[in-house]
Amino acid sequence: MSSKVLAFINFKGGVGKTATVVNIGATLAKLHEKKVLIVDLDPQSNSSVWLMRPDRWREHVAKGRRSTFQIFDDALHGKPRFNFEEALVQGVVTWTGFTDLPRLHLLPASVELLRIEDRIHELRAPAIYQILDTAVGPHFKEYDYVLLDCPPNLYATTKAAIFSADSCVVPYVPDYLSLSGFQVLAEQIAEMREKFAPYLPGRRKPNIAAVIVSHYRLAGNVFRLAVNELELSISQLQETGLLTNQAVLLQPYIRHCVRVAESTSEHLPVILYAPGSIGAQDYCDLTQRFIDLFEGKK
Amino acid sequence: MNYSDLSSRLLHLGERLAKHAGKIDGETLGRSARMLTAQLNAFEEDLESYLASRKSGEFLLETLLRSPAAKRHLTVDMLKHGLREVVGKRLKSDDLPAAKREFIELIHEFGKQNKAAEFLQEAFADAFHVESGGKDKLHLQREFISLGQLADEEFAQEIGKRTFGELRRVASVNGIRFTDKTTKQRLTALIRRYAQRAAFNIAAARVPSHIER
Repeated sequence: MSSKVLAFINFKGGVGKTATVVNIGATLAKLHEKKVLIVDLDPQSNSSVWLMRPDRWREHVAKGRRSTFQIFDDALHGKPRFNFEEALVQGVVTWTGFTDLPRLHLLPASVELLRIEDRIHELRAPAIYQILDTAVGPHFKEYDYVLLDCPPNLYATTKAAIFSADSCVVPYVPDYLSLSGFQVLAEQIAEMREKFAPYLPGRRKPNIAAVIVSHYRLAGNVFRLAVNELELSISQLQETGLLTNQAVLLQPYIRHCVRVAESTSEHLPVILYAPGSIGAQDYCDLTQRFIDLFEGKK
Repeated sequence: MNYSDLSSRLLHLGERLAKHAGKIDGETLGRSARMLTAQLNAFEEDLESYLASRKSGEFLLETLLRSPAAKRHLTVDMLKHGLREVVGKRLKSDDLPAAKREFIELIHEFGKQNKAAEFLQEAFADAFHVESGGKDKLHLQREFISLGQLADEEFAQEIGKRTFGELRRVASVNGIRFTDKTTKQRLTALIRRYAQRAAFNIAAARVPSHIER
């Protein structure tokens, strides 16, 4: 199986990273019958508690053992305790009490990940970057898509995700605060690409492949103008070489939708919770563009 | 609980039952066993029907027809086209719910569920229209930034060289909303304001050179 490993990154918080990962992942699994693995690397564990009921998640990741924390803790202690099969959560539990989306798998995060950043520098580069790739990389080939949900920073965990990834996807909210962060992000990734290159022989070097706009509203000029400024910024970064010419701004833009927010409390992706909502429709169309881009269909 | 847990439980129950089957008696257990058997019959029927629909592609076809993509993109014309392409038949119904029912029935009759699902996936993919902004979009975006970098007099000169139609195209491509009643003067003011803002924002957001490499 030729898997696509994609890191969803943005060091700005609240841009829709988790919503994008969860809903694109679910749509790929449900409507396109793709086998998808979501790897939650954020100590806030948002994609984990979106897809799992909190009691079940707490029990599953108790002491961090069956979570992505264990991967990094193992690297620090030099003891391989992480067990991929044990940590894996398959499908999501619906109101029936039984699972749906059997093709959607999750490696949950736990809050213990917070402790990792303080201690990770006991290790040296490139060992830090290679942690995720070494521990779970061999399992990635069992999936069509591996979506890495990164924390809102560019510290060690995110760098390890970028190292493992074929490409980066940047969720983005159309406003100036995001725009200013985007250019810094592009430079940081370009820098990492150079730094990682010697350790990635024969592999694709990570770059920004797509930008996804969330929280879009049709009313007035505000968002259209902000998206235009983003497009201008992308083309400028492409001219300077910080972004490759393949980087695209994916359409449709995901409109603000209450049902998406509500679906987090139901611990279900929006296509299961409210399939008729504009949020579900936008994610369906976006997922199609996503497949076109990463499978080179159009 | 997941289906794998349920199967382990049923296996365990089966083993226990097999081990003690020769010794079990009594009305209470008999009543309970009768109820379980009825539930098992219903479950077996549902499971077989599900597995058959998965194999034939019917499950995916129904999932697609109920999907958010269908809600947005599915039309009677799409179903007519699909039926003609997949089974070579004409769809008679003209309203969507009836057309959907007729489509499913005929596809089922010809056993072409997989083909129909494939058709719908492609049709939904093609139905979404990506706004390209036209061939000259990039050029007009660059022009917009350039206009934003000009001093007042230079800007007035540049605007003077353009027709109202050209200005409307610059505004439209760069996200400025206007109506048929918007005057040239008002449109010029909007372009001035937002072009300056874009030029300033893009330049200001540029990566500071002091970031350590």
